[in-house]
Amino acid sequence: MSSSNASTPGPETRTADSAKVRSLGAAAWASVAVALGMMLFVARVDDFNGPIQKIFYVHVPSAWLAYLSFAIVFVCSIAYLRTESRRWDLLAHSAAEVGVVFTSLVLITGPIWARPIWGTWWQWDARLTSTLVLWLVYVGYLLLRGLSTDPSRSGRLAAVVGIVGFINVPIVHYSVNWWRTLHPVGPTVADPLNNSGFEAPELATFFVALGAFTLLFAWLLSIRVRLGRLADEVEARALAVEGVRDPGPSPRRPPRPAGSET
Amino acid sequence: MAERGFVAKTTLLIRKDLLVETRARDTLPPMLAFCLTVALLLAFSLPGNAVMQDVVEVPIGTVALADVIAGFLWITILFAGLIGFARTFEVERADGALDALLLVPLDRSGLFAAKALSNLVYIAVVEIVLVPVFTLFFTLELGADWLVLVLVIALVDIGFVAIGTLFASLAAQTRSRELILPVLALPSLVPIFIAAVELTSDLFAGGGLGAVAARGWFGILLLFDLVFVTVGALAFEFAVD
Repeated sequence: MSSSNASTPGPETRTADSAKVRSLGAAAWASVAVALGMMLFVARVDDFNGPIQKIFYVHVPSAWLAYLSFAIVFVCSIAYLRTESRRWDLLAHSAAEVGVVFTSLVLITGPIWARPIWGTWWQWDARLTSTLVLWLVYVGYLLLRGLSTDPSRSGRLAAVVGIVGFINVPIVHYSVNWWRTLHPVGPTVADPLNNSGFEAPELATFFVALGAFTLLFAWLLSIRVRLGRLADEVEARALAVEGVRDPGPSPRRPPRPAGSET
Repeated sequence: MAERGFVAKTTLLIRKDLLVETRARDTLPPMLAFCLTVALLLAFSLPGNAVMQDVVEVPIGTVALADVIAGFLWITILFAGLIGFARTFEVERADGALDALLLVPLDRSGLFAAKALSNLVYIAVVEIVLVPVFTLFFTLELGADWLVLVLVIALVDIGFVAIGTLFASLAAQTRSRELILPVLALPSLVPIFIAAVELTSDLFAGGGLGAVAARGWFGILLLFDLVFVTVGALAFEFAVD
């Protein structure tokens, strides 16, 4: 199994790849540590919200990365349908997974803040609602990929959802916004930047956190892409070995499990 | 035989689907029975002597019964519709005729139009039965506003069948066909569901066309229809080829 295949990257390329991923990871975690330090010691405690306000430095970068992920899914889905290149498909799939992780972080950190400040874990507020809709759309995207009967087509099916889902984001946002504006109940989301009294230390912390989380995102995405490439390679080699042992299709060979990832 | 045009071929495909349905009757009757059952079950969640103009006390304030019943109506329509739409490609799939369908010398958008319009017929029949049933069960008094209700239903249906048909073609290629369609379609249908409930609850509450038109929810419905009929017709090609 150690022999290198001409169509797949050799061991040297893979080692170089993994070294790059590792240094990206080191940079990401180092900057997350700096951001954490700044959150605790540089940014001052908010007068109105108290210490819980500091969750903002995790919450808002996560939201930005969720949107970035789904924008990447959208662009890569279009590119995949046009070029049929597995590269785009894998990037779209990876970005969707990472995006769901960050959307989940948004949906978890939000209520943790809301409970002491609003007095309730959840409000049917416009932003909360549209974030939940977004999360559901991309969970559906990932489910569709896993449940496809023909693994070689799962990328095309998912690409359609990746495009439709993203085009729908502004319409969902607008309609949910309007729905809540018509029926205001309880508190509204105060724009955290507007009435928080942010000054230089807080702004610096925010931008460092934003950068750190973006690096973390890039690291997760590259790990996921690398994992997908390795899985492709394993499958290609398994098929090659199968072909040597048993040339030509044979009815006795058990069918490959449906839905196995390509 | 003379070469048929786009419209003639599309019409032929719709006639084929509807003919199969009138002979086999395996989609519409279950859809109708399903929505009547749901309407019955929903009635159990209301107080026995409830009238449409009632306002119900809930922990966060008050809820107008008109809003609740408008939600009931649209939930029932969406669920019944998705159950039916999941079968969009079932005839072809069961008979192994999907390749034959794709060989029809017609642009993919024509195939999409044919399947979407067949689904439109099914959902329209469901609504023609369901709305009078709701009128009886929940004492709706629409008066002259029923025409507005028809307009709202028509606008919702266009976007609904566009999304439903596109996603049904994806769901047909998975292992959990009937289950994955609602999971994919319902989040995307949120805008038209909100618009539909807002508009119909105004009608049910007796607001009339004046109050309804001022809301501008028609704009969202039109936008949604326009976007997803276009996207559906374009993306369908990639979903089935």
